[in-house]
Amino acid sequence: MVISHFTALVLFSFLVSVVFAVLSKEKLRDQVIYGAKVFLGFVGIALFLGWIMYPFA
Amino acid sequence: MAKSVTEEAGRPVKEAAKPARPPASSGNLFGLCLAAWLVPGSGHLLLGRRWRALILFVSIVGMFVMGIAMQGQYFSLGSGSYLHSLGYFAELAVGVPMRAATFFGYGGGDTYFVCSDYGTAFLIAAGMLNVLTVLDAYDIAGGRKP
Repeated sequence: MVISHFTALVLFSFLVSVVFAVLSKEKLRDQVIYGAKVFLGFVGIALFLGWIMYPFA
Repeated sequence: MAKSVTEEAGRPVKEAAKPARPPASSGNLFGLCLAAWLVPGSGHLLLGRRWRALILFVSIVGMFVMGIAMQGQYFSLGSGSYLHSLGYFAELAVGVPMRAATFFGYGGGDTYFVCSDYGTAFLIAAGMLNVLTVLDAYDIAGGRKP
């Protein structure tokens, strides 16, 4: 399976977010909200760090 | 009219009536954790959390399968590197899927494959997520979590 770095990042973040949400929260609504926050945090921080490193590439 | 104790305490009656789960015995806990390690999500299934078990199983095994598909590397204990040894234990934490992949012919990945590094990360993360799953099942069975 050949995928881009960004695709791998999104897949990884999604799967980890799902597990974190299921383990951390009890109610479905809380799980969805928490999972979304974790997912956006993963991807957002990765993009932010990518741009920070860009001038040094 | 006199209020009940639970109403006076300010807690909803439904929440107060929920019985606390009695802690499992040490033998049961060990068996539960062993099952939870071997098959991701099985600990939660044994505790009656079917949907949670299914989601955990699909997520962790899915991540492991993606790691295999990307030719992630299998680490070994005899490599002489502490990091590789840690990687071995991390991958071993996923349980039966690792041995099943070896049984069905997965030889440990191709490190020259373009996505191999991503695959290795997926394999290790799947194992680590299973560790969290085992700990969660342990906490629920021990009465520390609802």
